[in-house]
Amino acid sequence: MRKNYGPLYAAPMAAWMILFFVIPTAIIFSYSFMTKDMHGGVIYEFTLSAYRALNNPTFFKVAFNTIWVAFAATILMVALAMPASYYMARSKHKNFFLLLIIIPFLTNSMIKIFAWMGVFWIDSGLLNSFLLWAGVIDHPIRFLYNTNAVIVVTAYTYLPFAILPLYTTIDKFDFSLLEAARDLGASKLTATLRILLPNIRGGITTAVLFTFTSAFGNLAIPSLIGGNDSYMLSNFIRHEFNIARNWPLVSSMSVILTIMTTIAVLIFMRLNRSPVEVARENREAVNKPAGSTARAAGTGGAV
Amino acid sequence: MTGAVQSVLGKIKGIMNTGNKPTGKFSLSVFLVVLVFLYLPLAILILNSFNASKSMSWEGFSLRWYNELFFSPSWVSLWKTFGNSAVAALTSATAATVVGTLGAIGLYWYRFRAKKAIQIAAFMPMLIPEIIIGVSLAMLFASTKLPMSLFTVILAHTTFNIPFVLLVVMARLESFDFMIIEAAYDLGATEYQALSKVILPAVFPGIIAAFLIAVTLSLDDFVVAFFVAGPGGSTLPVYLESRLKLGIPPVINALSVVIIAGTVVLAFLSRNIVKYMFHSNK
Amino acid sequence: MKGSQVAIQNVEKRFGDFQALKNVSLDIKKGEFYSLLGPSGCGKTTLLRIIAGFEDPTAGAVLLDGRDVVPIAANKRPVNTVFQTYALFPHLTVFENVAFPLRLRKLPGAEVSAKVEQFLELVKLPKEGKKLPAQLSGGQKQRVAIARALINEPSVLLLDEPLSALDAKLRQHMLIELDLIHDHIGITFIYVTHDQQEALSVSDRVAVMNEGEVVQVGTPFEIYESPAHPFVAHFIGETNYLSGTVTEVFRDKHVRVDFPDIGTLIVYEDKPLKAGDKVKVTVRPEKIRISLDKPASLAENMNLLQGRVDELIYSGFQSKFFVRVNEKAQFRVFRQHVKFYMDEKAISWKDEVYIWWNDNDGYVVEVGE
Repeated sequence: MRKNYGPLYAAPMAAWMILFFVIPTAIIFSYSFMTKDMHGGVIYEFTLSAYRALNNPTFFKVAFNTIWVAFAATILMVALAMPASYYMARSKHKNFFLLLIIIPFLTNSMIKIFAWMGVFWIDSGLLNSFLLWAGVIDHPIRFLYNTNAVIVVTAYTYLPFAILPLYTTIDKFDFSLLEAARDLGASKLTATLRILLPNIRGGITTAVLFTFTSAFGNLAIPSLIGGNDSYMLSNFIRHEFNIARNWPLVSSMSVILTIMTTIAVLIFMRLNRSPVEVARENREAVNKPAGSTARAAGTGGAV
Repeated sequence: MTGAVQSVLGKIKGIMNTGNKPTGKFSLSVFLVVLVFLYLPLAILILNSFNASKSMSWEGFSLRWYNELFFSPSWVSLWKTFGNSAVAALTSATAATVVGTLGAIGLYWYRFRAKKAIQIAAFMPMLIPEIIIGVSLAMLFASTKLPMSLFTVILAHTTFNIPFVLLVVMARLESFDFMIIEAAYDLGATEYQALSKVILPAVFPGIIAAFLIAVTLSLDDFVVAFFVAGPGGSTLPVYLESRLKLGIPPVINALSVVIIAGTVVLAFLSRNIVKYMFHSNK
Repeated sequence: MKGSQVAIQNVEKRFGDFQALKNVSLDIKKGEFYSLLGPSGCGKTTLLRIIAGFEDPTAGAVLLDGRDVVPIAANKRPVNTVFQTYALFPHLTVFENVAFPLRLRKLPGAEVSAKVEQFLELVKLPKEGKKLPAQLSGGQKQRVAIARALINEPSVLLLDEPLSALDAKLRQHMLIELDLIHDHIGITFIYVTHDQQEALSVSDRVAVMNEGEVVQVGTPFEIYESPAHPFVAHFIGETNYLSGTVTEVFRDKHVRVDFPDIGTLIVYEDKPLKAGDKVKVTVRPEKIRISLDKPASLAENMNLLQGRVDELIYSGFQSKFFVRVNEKAQFRVFRQHVKFYMDEKAISWKDEVYIWWNDNDGYVVEVGE
C-alpha cells in the first residue's frame, strides 16, 4: 500500500488560498461591522453603521443599475451566442470559425473598450460618421457615457466567453437526435426547444455564469463607457476606497456584492448545475479508483 | 433592400459552404452579425492606427503613430507599465501553474479529509467578482503593512490565476486513465519518479494551456491591479484606464494593433486552450 | 520451476458498509496459470489489487513464498500487473513504455535495448518500438502491456481482465499467445476474468468467486463437470436445473430422484444422500441426446423423456433446442453438427422428440431439507 500524497500535493495551494483568499474575505466581512477610521482603515468597534449607510436611494439605484446591466448584457450575449455557436458547431469550417472567436476572446479588454470608444466617439466616431453620412441624423449624438453603452460594450467584451462554452457543448451534441425528433413529428422549433436545449444545459450554465459574474463586477467598462447615471457597484466601491477612504462601507458593499452574485449563481444553479459542480461530480466519479480507500464503492460494482 | 440582403446572404452562404448539413438561415445570419459585431470595432481601430489624421476622419496612410509609440519620450511611462505587465504576467502565471498543477494532481487523484474545503476555496475566486479580490487583498496588504508595489500585483494575480490553472489541469487529468499511475508504481516507480516521469509529462499539454491562460488573464486584468498596484507597480491596463479617462489618443490605436498581433499569434498557438477551459462533461 | 507460491489467508476487505471480500483463502502453486472467475462485483479484481499492493486487506495475509507482503508497497513487490485498460503511458513510445521499469533502475542503455528488444520479440512486436500507444491497435497495446509487465521478471504476473477490450476473434488469439508466453517464461499467472471460456481454456486451476467468496476451486474439468455449488453450475456454461426428492439410493453411487413435474430419474450421487433428501440436479445440455425417433434399445442407465421442440436456435456449429417436456418443465439440448448431412432427419419447430442422457451426467449440486 502506498502513502496518500494527496494532502502534500494540495498543501501549497491550500496555504495560498487560505492566505490570499480566505483571510482577505474574512477581513472584508469583519471590517464591514467596524467603525470607520478617518484616515482609512478601521477602528475595532462593532457597529452596523456601514450597513445602515447602504439604506439610501442612491445605493439602491446603483445596485439596481448593476443588476440591470449584468442581466441585459447576459441576455444579449446568450441570444447572440446560441444561434452563432450552433452554426459554428454544424459548419465544415468549425476550426477556422473557432479561431475567429478565440482571437477576440484573448484580446485585451482595455483594447476592446478603447475600440468601442472609437466607435461611439462623438467627434467623427464610426457610428456618428455613418449616421451623418446616411442622413439619419443632422448632428452627432452622444453615444458614450450612458447605461446602454455600458450594456453594449459589456456584451461585446464577454461575448466570446458565452460562445466558447456553448460551442463546445453543442459540438458534442448528437445531431441525429434532432433528426429523430423531426422524424417523430416535431417541428423545427419544438425539436430545438425540447431536444437541443435540454441537452446543452451545461454549456448554457457555463456561459451565463461566466458572463453574468464578469458583467456584474466589472469596473473598467462603467468607468470609461458609463456616465454619472450609469454608476455600478464597482464604481461606488472604487470611490469609497480611494476618495472617501471609508473601509467599513467598502467592506459592506463588497459583502452585498458577493451575496448578490452568490444568490444569482445559486438561483441559476438551481435551474442548472454549475460547471464547477459538474466538474466536481465527475471528478468524484473518476476519483473512486484513486488513493487509499478511494476504490471503495467503485470496486464493489465493477470488480 | 431586403432582396439585396438576401442575395448577399446567399452568396456568403455559398462561400461558407456548409456541405449538406441542414444549417438554418437564421443561425447563419446571427453568426454573421456576431462576426461583424466582434470585428468591426477592431478593424476600425487597425485602420485608424495608419491614419495620418489626429481625428478619426481619414487623411491618408501614415506610420506616425507607430513612430510616436515606439520613439516618443512622452510614452516612456506606457512602456514601463507594459514591462510591469509582462513581469507580473510571467511571474504570476509561473507561480500559479506550479501551485495549481500540484493542487490539481492532489485533488484529482487522492482522497483526504480537507479535500472538499480546499476545492471550494480554490474554485470560489472564479465565481465572485474580481473587484472583491482586489479590494480584499488591498485591505490585507494594508493591514499587514505590506507596501503596495509590483510584488503585491504578482501575489494578487497568482491568486486569481490558480483556479483557472486548477480547472484546466483537472480537465486534462480527466482525459487520461488513472491506471497509468498505478502501472508506474506497479513497475517499481517511487512517488517522485511517478510524478516526474509519468504524471507531469502526461499532463504537460494541459500545463502549457494553463500557463497561457494565466498569462492572458494577468495581462487582461485591470480591476485587481488597480487596487493593489503600488507606486511604480502600475500595469498597462491601469495606465490605459487613467489615460482613456482623459480622451482617446491615436497612439493607443498603434499600441492596440501591436497587442492584437500578439494575440493572433497566441490564438494560433493555443487553440486547444478552449478545449481544456470549456470542456463540458458529456 | 520459476514463479512464486502465493497464499491468500483469510483475506477480508471492507469498503465502508460494503464487504467486497469475505474470508478468502487460496493457495496458488508456483508456475500455475490460476484464474479468478466470477461475475462483476464478485470481488475478484479487489483480490487482485490486494495481491498487487494497490489495496490493503481489512484482515488477513497475503504470502509470497511464505513471506507476508501486505506491509510492502506496490512498487517494491515482485509482482506486476497487466491492466484491463492497458495503462500504457501516452507520452512514451512503445520502446520506452517497455523500458520504463529498467530506466527506473537506471540500467545502462545497451542492456535496456537488448532486453526491451527481447521482450518485444516475445510479444511479437519487434518493429513497433518507435510508435506511440495511440498509434497501436487494441491487440498491439495489449502486447505492449504484457511485455512491460514482464520485463522486470516478476515472480507473479497479475492479469486484470486483459482481453475484455478486444473483439472476440482477437481474444481467442491472444489467449493462445498468453498461454504460450506462460509456458515460455513459466512464472505464476493470476488471471482475473468474468469470461468462463477464457478461464476454462487456459487455466491450470480456476477459483470461482461470487459475492466476495470463493465458491469452488478446481481444474477447469472439475469446475465444469462437477460443479460443487448451484452458482457454479449456473455461472459456468449453460445447464438444466431440476429440483426433486430422493426416493431410493441404489446400485453403486446412484439415486432415484422424483421430480414432481417430470417423474423419476436416475442421478449420480457424489455426496452422501438418503431417501427423502431434497436435491437440486443439473444436466448439461450437450450431454443430452435428441432424436425424432424413439431409440430402439436403451441401456438401463439412461434417462429418457419425451417432449416437443418449443424453440430452435441454429448457430452454425451447433443447434440449441428448447424441449418442453410438460407445462412446467423445459430442457435445453445442444446438438453438435458433426456432419454436413445428418443421417437423422432434421428436427424442426414443434416436432415431437425424445431426449435421453446417461445417468452419470445428472449431477446433484445442492442438498436441502
